[in-house]
Amino acid sequence: MRGERHVVCRASELAPGERRIVRLGGRSIGVFNVGGSFYALHNGCPHKGGALCEGPICGTTVDASFGYGRDGEIVRCAWHGWEFDIATGVAIADPAVRARTYPVVVEDGQVMVVVPGTTRARGVRR
Amino acid sequence: MIDCDVHNSWHSAEVLLPYLPPAFREYLQRGELPGPRGSFPHAHRPWLHPEGFMRYDAVPASGAAAGSEYELLREQVLDRYDVDYAILTGDEAIEASTLANPYYANALTSAYNDWLVQEWLPADPRLKGSLVVAPQDPHGAAAEIRRMGDHDDIVQVLMSSGSQRPYGDPFFHPIWEAAAELDLPIAVHLGGQGGLNANPIGCGPTTFFWETHALLCETGMAHLASTIAHGVFERWPNARLILVECGVAWVPPILWRLDEDYRALRKETPWLRRLPSEYAHEHIRMTTQPLEQPRSPEALWPALDDIGARDMLMFASDYPHWDFEDPRFLRLPESWREPVLDGNARDVYGLPARDRVSEGAGR
Ligand code: FES
Repeated sequence: MRGERHVVCRASELAPGERRIVRLGGRSIGVFNVGGSFYALHNGCPHKGGALCEGPICGTTVDASFGYGRDGEIVRCAWHGWEFDIATGVAIADPAVRARTYPVVVEDGQVMVVVPGTTRARGVRR
Repeated sequence: MIDCDVHNSWHSAEVLLPYLPPAFREYLQRGELPGPRGSFPHAHRPWLHPEGFMRYDAVPASGAAAGSEYELLREQVLDRYDVDYAILTGDEAIEASTLANPYYANALTSAYNDWLVQEWLPADPRLKGSLVVAPQDPHGAAAEIRRMGDHDDIVQVLMSSGSQRPYGDPFFHPIWEAAAELDLPIAVHLGGQGGLNANPIGCGPTTFFWETHALLCETGMAHLASTIAHGVFERWPNARLILVECGVAWVPPILWRLDEDYRALRKETPWLRRLPSEYAHEHIRMTTQPLEQPRSPEALWPALDDIGARDMLMFASDYPHWDFEDPRFLRLPESWREPVLDGNARDVYGLPARDRVSEGAGR
């Protein structure tokens, strides 16, 4: 994978259902653990630039009888509440809209996000 | 840049207690409330937002209500966007318009105005205030405008768009008269849909929040038509109506319809001397948020240009509400940027030009 790897934390420090907002290579990025898999989304919403990764992590209605599902797989943007699939960045209501995703690698127990065209960042913040 | 709709909130409506007359203080302390202790007395609308009403990242670290702490409001609005002025529009205070008891409603809005002037406006020279009044008590509202309207940092009168009847109706003329006397525009902000104000939607209540939210501009249409038709702008030549959060794209077609019908039936309103669209261009302003989003962004502008909206539109963010608009994501034709982001609001509110601000405010 092209780009710089940035260590975010130890995998054991980010439990399923949790997230961290970090600054990597000058970008604000949300790193999520969904059921043991790690994902990273750009914390700038494709709708209007809002804090996409800082809203509720939740599920949603999945059928016409108000069946609820996908719990923990969706993040709602903190601004206008659009729902995004954490794994793919796809907007649930309009799949043509996608949040930017970054590859995540877990090696030797470390969660690393691959950010293109950057030098290794310091000062990771929660 | 001027942001015409920034909501200063409270963590508990009990902040109003010291400003309420004793008779009404008891209502707030021991009386029935629409929610837990500290909630603001009002009748709620029949549609509830399924995700709450606030931007999640606008909740202060203390856990207090979004918009209730000046420091975070400064960081997320004033400093982030280099705002010269933010027009504070309160939060729940305009909902007093839903209460049947006009005396209680008037006491609550007066208490809010005192709290605003004492606790918010001194915090920052960039903050300007809106005097909230209870429209169901037009004489009380007029008295409130005369009591507080000459405060240096008060720039407009504010009422909810939900109302018992359209605001041009002679029932409300005492409010227009007092505002004209103090040379203050009257802003009408989306809200107050419930209780006494039973008809915010034509045909009666819709069902879902998003469905309804898209239609609430209907109240703006009625206030626009009514203030023009009843001759508010003939009777008080300095009167101005500012539609806040009532939508924008509907304005040209409604004005076109009003012009056409007025031409045919002018005799019903003999006090008018100009076309409705001419009164609107001179006396009515609309704030941008939520600016409609056509499939091709440029589709918005030709109709607006036809009514001269470049002189009528004023930027608003609606911070910290869920439908907040970031000025950096606002797509405006280049020649509209200065008037919409700054000049129009400066004119209507009589605010000093930018360089004088930075000198005066010493920042
Ligand atoms: S900015 Fe994210 S939903 Fe609007």
